[in-house]
Amino acid sequence: MKPDPIDQLGARLFQAGRQEAPPDGALARAVAAARREQANAVSGSRLSRRTAAIFWLAAAALFAGAVFFVRNGEPTGGISAEPRGSVERQGAPQPPSRPVPAADAAPSATSLESAIPSAAPPPAPVHSAPATLTDELGALKRASSALALGDTQAALAALDQYDRMKGQKLRAEATLLRIEAWSRAGQGDRASALAKQFVAQNPGSPLVDRARSFVK
Amino acid sequence: MSWLPSKVSPASAAHESAPDQSIESLVALHHGFVWRVLRGLGFSRADADDAAQQVFMIVARKIESINASSARSFIYGSTLRVANNARRGRRRRREMATDDELDRAEPEALGPEQRATVVEARALLRELLAQLPDKFRRVLILAELEQLEVAEIAALERVPVGTAASRLRTARQQFRELLEAARDRNPFLNEA
Repeated sequence: MKPDPIDQLGARLFQAGRQEAPPDGALARAVAAARREQANAVSGSRLSRRTAAIFWLAAAALFAGAVFFVRNGEPTGGISAEPRGSVERQGAPQPPSRPVPAADAAPSATSLESAIPSAAPPPAPVHSAPATLTDELGALKRASSALALGDTQAALAALDQYDRMKGQKLRAEATLLRIEAWSRAGQGDRASALAKQFVAQNPGSPLVDRARSFVK
Repeated sequence: MSWLPSKVSPASAAHESAPDQSIESLVALHHGFVWRVLRGLGFSRADADDAAQQVFMIVARKIESINASSARSFIYGSTLRVANNARRGRRRRREMATDDELDRAEPEALGPEQRATVVEARALLRELLAQLPDKFRRVLILAELEQLEVAEIAALERVPVGTAASRLRTARQQFRELLEAARDRNPFLNEA
């Protein structure tokens, strides 16, 4: 059947739209902007940690003062509207309420427009929660840097740390680093065995050639 | 409609092959997607460039909480938010009407006439898309510009697949009507 001309016209318009490329340097500008923002976020996060420390110190001092007052400076003969226990409870600093971060920071179902998360810094990684990619990348970068310096023990320690993370997404990269670390640490047989296993389990991985080079 | 989505779209490929989520790799994988969505939403080339930077600044701030599987969804949501803020806050209507295509260097393989045709086609495309209600425009952009499957569109739009399919049908129908009304201005008319 001959295609509808209107459909063809529409298809051509969309094709023209698809083929449009961003201006020269747009990608590099986006990378640069993102890196700047990331650097700012890191320094901002450090600052907010410092601020939080000061806050808790101040809260602890206030609490200590309140306890001291209740125990030693309680007015005599006065009728208190509140039982003693409630004074103590009121004196106790309450932890600041924090929004509970959603497991998935992606926009909400109902309103994509209101889906951008707040600018509050993300919570520190919790061991029981799956590791974030940044955590994983951090551990692998440490391992890689140590390997580059010839410090195989430090590399293996970083990889052990990686192995303890939950929900790993970069396991293949970690395995390859471990193979390399064992190989350089003189544990060639162990490296070879793991490399064989890697090749068998990840035949389609782009890392498979590199792994194969460690197989004896 | 005949412009059915192909099986492998640029955005799909980016989504499926994103094991490394450094900010650089996220930008590299998704910048084209973000930029095309912004263009489809009516942004000029320069403004799409600026807005894409804002999107990836948000991504950079939140990278620790973005899962690999939800990266594109997060980035899409951020793109819409940035687009809405920009449209609300500034002289978007005037800028959207500005044809900034002429300073665009098209592939050298195209002759001057073909280049003019392509520029006209894109201008008409954006003009027609701009006449669609937002929810229909968005699904059409995802289906036709990004060539995503309905299930992927549903995931990005956070709606059931049936809703996405229904919106897409309506969007295509409305676009078709607009296209017919503007038939005489379609630069590909003689080729059809």
